Amino acid sequence: MTTATTAPGQAAPLVRVRGLTKSYGAIRALRGVDVSFRRGEIHGLVGANGAGKSTLIRCLAGLERPDAGDILVDGEIAHVHGPDDAARLGLAFIHQELNLVSSFTGAQNIMLGSHRGSMVTPRRFSGVPRAVLDAARRVGIDFPLDIPVSELTVHQQWLVTIARALVEDRALIAMDEPTASLDAQEAATLLKVARELAASGVAVVFISHRLDEVTAVCDRVTAFKDGSISLALPRAEITREAVVRAIVGHDVTPGAGATAFEVTEHPRVVLRLQDVGRGRSVREVSLTLHEGEVVGIAGLVGSGRTELARLIFGADRPDRGTMLLDGKPYRPRSIPHAIARGVAYVPEERRSEALFLTHSVEDNLHITVWDRWRMSKLLPLIRPRASRAAANHTCRTLGIKTADARRPVMSLSGGNQQKVVMGRWLATNPKILILDEPTRGVDVGARADIYDRIREANRSGSAVLVISSEFEELLECNRVLVMAEGRIVGELTGGEITVPNMLHLCYA
Amino acid sequence: MEGTIEKATKPSAEPGAAPGKAQRMLVLSGRYGTPAVLVLLLIGFTAASPQAFMTGQNLLNILNQSATLAIVAGGLTLPLVAGKFDLSFAAVVSLSGILAVGFLERSGLPWFAAVLLALAAASIIGLVNGLLVAYLRINPIVATLGTSTMLLGVNYAYSNGTPITLAPGPFTDIARASVLGIPAPIILTAIVLGGLWVALNFTLLGHHMQAVGTNQVAARMAGVRVARITVIAFAICALCAGLAGVVLAARIGSGQVTAGDGYLLNAFAAVFLGASVLRDGDFHILGTVVGVLIVTVTFNGLSLLGAQSYVQFLFQGGILVAATALSSTSRGMLLASVRH
Ligand SMILES: Nc1ncnc2c1ncn2[C@@H]1O[C@H](COP(=O)(O)OP(=O)(O)OP(=O)(O)O)[C@@H](O)[C@H]1O
Ligand SMILES: [Mg+2]
Repeated sequence: MTTATTAPGQAAPLVRVRGLTKSYGAIRALRGVDVSFRRGEIHGLVGANGAGKSTLIRCLAGLERPDAGDILVDGEIAHVHGPDDAARLGLAFIHQELNLVSSFTGAQNIMLGSHRGSMVTPRRFSGVPRAVLDAARRVGIDFPLDIPVSELTVHQQWLVTIARALVEDRALIAMDEPTASLDAQEAATLLKVARELAASGVAVVFISHRLDEVTAVCDRVTAFKDGSISLALPRAEITREAVVRAIVGHDVTPGAGATAFEVTEHPRVVLRLQDVGRGRSVREVSLTLHEGEVVGIAGLVGSGRTELARLIFGADRPDRGTMLLDGKPYRPRSIPHAIARGVAYVPEERRSEALFLTHSVEDNLHITVWDRWRMSKLLPLIRPRASRAAANHTCRTLGIKTADARRPVMSLSGGNQQKVVMGRWLATNPKILILDEPTRGVDVGARADIYDRIREANRSGSAVLVISSEFEELLECNRVLVMAEGRIVGELTGGEITVPNMLHLCYA
Repeated sequence: MEGTIEKATKPSAEPGAAPGKAQRMLVLSGRYGTPAVLVLLLIGFTAASPQAFMTGQNLLNILNQSATLAIVAGGLTLPLVAGKFDLSFAAVVSLSGILAVGFLERSGLPWFAAVLLALAAASIIGLVNGLLVAYLRINPIVATLGTSTMLLGVNYAYSNGTPITLAPGPFTDIARASVLGIPAPIILTAIVLGGLWVALNFTLLGHHMQAVGTNQVAARMAGVRVARITVIAFAICALCAGLAGVVLAARIGSGQVTAGDGYLLNAFAAVFLGASVLRDGDFHILGTVVGVLIVTVTFNGLSLLGAQSYVQFLFQGGILVAATALSSTSRGMLLASVRH
């Protein structure tokens, strides 16, 4: 692999965006954006949720037609009317949400993006071609690629999506929050791949809300605010503080709220698990959860954290061990049963597991609590106005950016969609709130908001279990359990809660 | 899953948000294209046969003719909202007619008992459909095709393949009675459709049904009892078909194996026509009503004009394609126009 000799910043831009404007009805997603992407450079895009980053990427990919402005590739105006045009121009994309054909195998999905040959060029539909294997090895895929992706975990599906963008040589690769669904190890691998790509002369566009990644790999950072560019930082000026200020307008320090989670003197035990297990994914897990406590579960993806959460939530049934909720035996037969006992679970993949994309924000917020707006005990009718007012109120308190709670949830940006799912479960006033990657795709400012909400739920007595692959986020917990291969391999309290300690236990 | 309905997840255009004149026209033709077709049909038939079509008597006639189809199509809307196809309702229409008449004539039951038993039988078919789909996880198309075929066998067995006729009496009065000059079937239809509309839009059941149809996994994770909702949707659909079968048998004065056959295509045509009314491709009751009216007005108008039945089929199929195409293309143009 040869390093590009031109110093970043001096080369003529590969892709230049000029005055790009895009509105969705009254919402102005992009207001005349000018930005250039150069060969051999990793260009970070940051900004609050709904700032317009993904819209820019979708315009480049031909998924959206801009209202005004040009896209220039190698100095010439390019007409990108569809993903095939983008592919012909040598642009590859990893979009923010999963887009796989679920009945196809991993290999078939990866090849789907490859446009070599004509419509009728014979190509193998079975097996795993060489090119696919190479791309797969590069992103660290260690699972079979010849089974339908519907049988893979969400997280494995992400690796397939990433491999798809790498399977052909492209001049530019744009990654919209590629690391949001990866664990620490895989994110590191991906960052390494990004660096290699840049070194071989590819222009890399990198969007992330994980600022440590942005500061670590980017050669240039552009910050978006309400559809315009608010700040452009060259390599030398990229610091965490500068980036945070560009996004939220003020400083936010990680772990600042750590002391805010207070535990009362003699907390009551809410949930006790004794040697709970299911198959080989969860093995003999024992834990206790106290009232008003925030417990983090760290671990690599595949360590059984989601599987454990699903057992507590009644989505799967344990085949051994006992659970006690409020001191009484707890054997959830179904999810509604678990909800009735006061358990709430925010799943990790919002689009497939939580949201009704074409439905309104209101419907999405209230799916678990419709009964609250029932006219009377006898009359099972819902009062639409009361429900709407409540939904608009929730949008304001949670900072969900939308014109009206009647808008379809798919018109919200990714981070705002995440807040809708949070709002749904906070509304149930749960005794136990399980959050699986609660801040995936959420900007730094909103992340602080979400933690405020968690703290609030906490103060009103909820016990919170946070699963996160972003260990920095777990610094705010009272205790952190580390899982590996289905077992709890360690517990950290107080001053022991540090990112290196968590990593150490994960790999031990 | 095959046999279930995938909804397009394209962003819906917001009227009022982008107030261009041309855009507003597109919004209007997208949302109101199908109702506009209905209005055009009414105007066209009035012009073609001014004496016969636009008379109070004929309009009442149209409503009366559309009553059974409206009840069937209203019921069918529910499984479709929940994302599942039901192909068995036409056989249920025939079954309940045959049973009701059979219980009256052969078993000598009083008319209300015969009706109730027929409705109970219909509901049980729906429950079976629902159980097959929700618990045995059979593809809905396959499951209901299977029950439908079996029902055909049952219908033949019970009726020996010949219509069971009956003399006019309290049973046939179901179709002939009227209140304040409004025929009873119309009143019954209004009650049923009103009930379905309220249930779908203003109850937990309705909201959950829509959730199941949009994203079944997310519905389950949100605590929706997906299996139960599915069973209820199929059961209501079959109950409506049973009710329509009773009204139909009362009207024609007999129970016949083929009585319900015509409803299969007509009800699907009506519901899909309706899906493009007002909303973007979602199934809903008001839309279904418009769809039913389009289907019935077409038949009524063409037969007043003395058109042969092949003309009627060509015309109706054409309208189904044209009306849905109108609303989906104008929505497409609208999305494109928002882009520049
Ligand atoms: N299909 C759509 N219809 C209507 N509005 C939309 C649509 N897509 C995006 N928007 C709006 O455009 C704005 C920009 O959204 P975009 O997805 O680009 O944000 P983002 O910067 O990627 O945010 P995030 O970090 O949350 O992913 C948001 O206000 C969003 O609500
Ligand atoms: Mg985005």
